[in-house]
Amino acid sequence: MRSTFRALAVSGLLGLAATQAPAQTLTMAVGAPVTSLDPHYHQLSPNNAAASMIFSRLVETDDRARSVPGLAESWRAVEPTVWEFKLRAGVRFHNGREFTAEDVAYTLARVPNVPNSPASFTVFVRPIVRVEVVDPLTIRLHTRTPYPLLPMDMTNIYILDRETHEGGSTERFNSGELAVGTGPFRVVRHANGDRIELERNDQYFGDRPAFQRVNYRMITNDAARTAALMAGDVDVIDQVPTADLSRMRNDSRLALYETTGLRLIFLWTDHSREDATPFVTDNDGRPMARNPLKDIRVRRALSMAIDRPNMVGRVMEGAATATGQFLAEGVTSHIPGYPVPRFDPDGARRLLAEAGFPQGFRITLHGPNDRYPNDARIIQAVGQMWTRIGVRTTVEALTWPTYIGRAGRAEFSSFLMGWGMNPDGSHPLRNLIACPNRDTGLGASNRGRYCNAELDRGLEESSQMLDEEARQTRLIELERMALDDVALIPLHIQTNIWAARRGFAVTPRADELTRAQDVRPASAPAAAR
Amino acid sequence: MSDVTVNEVPVVAKVVKEETPFRRFVSEFFASKIATGGLIVFGIIALLAILAPWITPQNPYDLAQLDIMDGRLEPGSVGGSGMTHWLGTDDQGRDMLSGIIYGLRISLTVGVGSAFIASLVGASLGLLAAYGGGRTDSVIMRLVDLQLSFPTILAALMILAFLGKGIGNVVIALVIVEWAYYARTVRGSALVERRREYIEAAQCLALPTRRILFRHLLPNCLPPLIVVGTIQVARAIALEATLSFLGLGVPITEPSLGLLIANGYEYMLSGKYWISFYPGIALLVTIVSINLMGDHLRDVLNPRLKK
Repeated sequence: MRSTFRALAVSGLLGLAATQAPAQTLTMAVGAPVTSLDPHYHQLSPNNAAASMIFSRLVETDDRARSVPGLAESWRAVEPTVWEFKLRAGVRFHNGREFTAEDVAYTLARVPNVPNSPASFTVFVRPIVRVEVVDPLTIRLHTRTPYPLLPMDMTNIYILDRETHEGGSTERFNSGELAVGTGPFRVVRHANGDRIELERNDQYFGDRPAFQRVNYRMITNDAARTAALMAGDVDVIDQVPTADLSRMRNDSRLALYETTGLRLIFLWTDHSREDATPFVTDNDGRPMARNPLKDIRVRRALSMAIDRPNMVGRVMEGAATATGQFLAEGVTSHIPGYPVPRFDPDGARRLLAEAGFPQGFRITLHGPNDRYPNDARIIQAVGQMWTRIGVRTTVEALTWPTYIGRAGRAEFSSFLMGWGMNPDGSHPLRNLIACPNRDTGLGASNRGRYCNAELDRGLEESSQMLDEEARQTRLIELERMALDDVALIPLHIQTNIWAARRGFAVTPRADELTRAQDVRPASAPAAAR
Repeated sequence: MSDVTVNEVPVVAKVVKEETPFRRFVSEFFASKIATGGLIVFGIIALLAILAPWITPQNPYDLAQLDIMDGRLEPGSVGGSGMTHWLGTDDQGRDMLSGIIYGLRISLTVGVGSAFIASLVGASLGLLAAYGGGRTDSVIMRLVDLQLSFPTILAALMILAFLGKGIGNVVIALVIVEWAYYARTVRGSALVERRREYIEAAQCLALPTRRILFRHLLPNCLPPLIVVGTIQVARAIALEATLSFLGLGVPITEPSLGLLIANGYEYMLSGKYWISFYPGIALLVTIVSINLMGDHLRDVLNPRLKK
């Protein structure tokens, strides 16, 4: 008892000391390199993380990926096709220039015109047909049709200053010269692919960051990153390898911070072929006349055969949440009470028999072996479970570039995929579930080629609904419709994990971003705010 | 093997009554305890590999027999099916003992198979180069030089990336990267042999070239070929293990030793040593036993090393 008290007292004192010391330096190591400091160059989590330390957005997101006011204090649809944003007054860029509506207009115009962008942000500004600056602190964005997703799209756009950035090239951002924003940190030095050195922006309009200086290092090798933390070279790391979890949990010098993320790991089945699908044969190895995966009873049986909780425990070492739907609990378009499919091998065998396959069939399950945590292990485990209900499974793991190419050409019959979602149900529905259509861009990642006309109509309707509550109700209905039809077989939602040395606390974010402003001295969280 | 060993007759004549080159070779080989030990160990490993389906407690390649709930059990634990896993299990619940014995089967098949095919191809081309001379010789030997200038592992990786996974493809890749060693060895000794009188005699008799090559020249080039062959079997096994470790060799549900080691690699720091450790030991013992035999074979078959 006494030692506990003493420990508390000491840690309390330390915490106090930490918050009072002005020149505290935080060293972080991230697993994925930041490829550019130009916030409109490459849509990539590590780049977005760096950008959100330096720049700000009209609409920010909190740790559960919900929209919160940022540079805009409020927003509303003044007409069905016009969104009005009221901007925050008195915000200054790192170089002292004032932030106004003109800067927003400039930023929206720049986004589609960044040369050589490997993954452009243009998609977020495309619905905007006209930008109207009403006064320095009010801006109106006009769209062609009613577009309820506009405020959410604005959570992806980092705002620049017209005077500072006009005509600026991506190279000048990377050198640090133009990496000037309104965010909580200013750039001191940027060594591409190695580290970013940051300094606190004391004029920041939001919560004041706890650390004066930040050394943001990129260590892509998992073992090296873990070793750097153990050795005390860095204070915080992200992307903790699952194999190291049990050891780290037992290490009293470390603390883990985790939250359920937005990345769903799931299986696709071939919906596009009515006749023989390439990797399904009967038990003698002969091709089948029809594609058994088109039968919902077969898909349901395959889903029921999977023991999700045990797979999460054994294969993922607990670093995931078993699920039967797209989004985790607490996220906007989560379907309340929708069950995780119950593990029921006997029921699965009965369903197969009902569908006309009492002896099962043979299938090859494909997956990547270098993309998602434990990907090759997951498909082997699924292979075991499917084989148990009579669907004799061969498992084939491929390297990602080969794999994604073949998956895109619909060469597989059943295969593993992961998808990082936005919290709004329209995102998975439009990208994964809607019928693939090159012209509208719908179903762009629908690699199982699932197609349901009724669902598509509902989705089209929901995209014009401006009443947020009604729209969410409609989206949840549509999610339910897709899942009831086993459009895909959800397995689990990944947990995002950060590890920190004792004395540092991380606010874990659902969107996987690793940012210095989310780290605080551990013992005195209240004092630090 | 007439010519090369003629001078050595007195050395061992005291042991054997009726002296033939083969008997002399056998007795010399077993004179070394280390080489005999190597042969015995290799014999046991080969026997285990051949008898794998009958002696292993589990078929590690049958997904229906694996249970993920038995994953990463320590050596000696009892699994859900009541089976004792003497060497533990890997992350998929695969019995390590069974996995290692089946893995040895793949390693030996690939090693011996690829060395055999490569020696056929290499020896034929080497003989042809030595006997044909001139342009044939330069073309073949430049090809050999080209082949040997690539790092073996890099060449094998490129070939496999092109051919795709599978045991057959691994054998093809190994043959392609290894034939050059045999070709160069055989050409060297064939160049010496072809100037000898017995070849001249055969040519004077107007025997067909094929007969001269394979009945007269080849048998006299065999000793170095055997030595290179043994060492190359060991090299091929190590190379297959490397390729599988890098994820380019065998399918993940049919692991060879290299893939078993790769599976356990991530758990090494977490204290679950057995997933990588035991397959590593098996690989080590196999390669060392073959190399011990190979080293001693070289001593026995090389007349220059004899007093």
